Amino acid sequence: MTSLMERDGYFHVVSATREEEALGIASGAYAAGRNAAVFMQSSGFGNCVNALASLCLPARVPIPMFINLRGEVGEFNIAQVAMGRSTRPILDTLGIQHYTLDTDDRLGLRVSGALKLCYASRQPLALCLTPMLHGGKLA
Amino acid sequence: MHRFSATKRLLDLIGDLPVVSNLGPTTDELWHAGHRDRNFYTYGSMGLCSSIALGVALSTDDKVISLDGDGSLLMNMGAIATISRESPANLIVVVWDNEQWAQTGNQASHTAFGTDLARVAEGCGIEKTATVTDEEELESALMQALEQDGPWFIVAKIREEAESMPVAPNEPELTLHRFRASYGA
Ligand SMILES: Cc1ncc(C[n+]2csc(CCOP(=O)(O)OP(=O)(O)O)c2C)c(N)n1
Ligand SMILES: [Mg+2]
Repeated sequence: MTSLMERDGYFHVVSATREEEALGIASGAYAAGRNAAVFMQSSGFGNCVNALASLCLPARVPIPMFINLRGEVGEFNIAQVAMGRSTRPILDTLGIQHYTLDTDDRLGLRVSGALKLCYASRQPLALCLTPMLHGGKLA
Repeated sequence: MHRFSATKRLLDLIGDLPVVSNLGPTTDELWHAGHRDRNFYTYGSMGLCSSIALGVALSTDDKVISLDGDGSLLMNMGAIATISRESPANLIVVVWDNEQWAQTGNQASHTAFGTDLARVAEGCGIEKTATVTDEEELESALMQALEQDGPWFIVAKIREEAESMPVAPNEPELTLHRFRASYGA
């Protein structure tokens, strides 16, 4: 996805060193009138909780988060299991809406609908991608 | 140098340029020094002040000022590397370096024990750095940073005042709304 975006002049891809940093950058972009999404895997979502709880939720920053869920079928790394399994329950606890994408059936409709909802609600929103969606390529 | 008086001086120099402020005394004193729509106050998200400012800088041609803190930047030093990688000419990071986590009880931070954030920035590839210890030095560094391309990274050594200012009466949602409205969004 990042290489596709890097080739498309519509996007400006910023590589962060840490996922919560990406939420900060995206929030700043939104503050100046531009929309920004954040891409990460579930382990990185663990690095994001305080940024969501203390910045994006209270200030109401709509950031679509694309989270590649590890710890799903086909996982080979025990270190990915607990965070992968906890990602959606933590999103629920934070009150952040999320949708799991595990098939490409009407994918365009689901993604554009989720983006519309994210900006209408002015809250962060997560799209969780599973190995069933992208053919099991983990990491 | 004290942060409140230095903040007032900074506001006099920058017109209506946007400012992002670190949580705690930096945010409170910015509000008291001069509340304005283009102040993006943070209340939490420790470590993200300069990351937010980077996002603003990548989305406007205005010069953008981050008023960060030593403790917060130490929590997210990777932000300095990302600023260097993106190299926005319009970003000015000012670190209020009181060598402590003032907000939580004045515990000494790592900059009191030899960590030099300006040299960290240089090591990350940021060429325009300065360390200033009084208001005159800060003012001349800022004038240069406002005139010349950056990114700029200015470490301002400050001393904490005995009395802290009242907490700024702000709502994060309104802060974002005012800031965005000032950009026509
Ligand atoms: C993630 C996180 N850890 C700890 C805190 C508590 N905390 C709030 S402000 C602060 C100190 C920040 O230090 P610095 O950036 O140097 O600012 P100063 O208080 O010195 O102005 C701390 C530790 C917090 N809000 N968030
Ligand atoms: Mg400090």
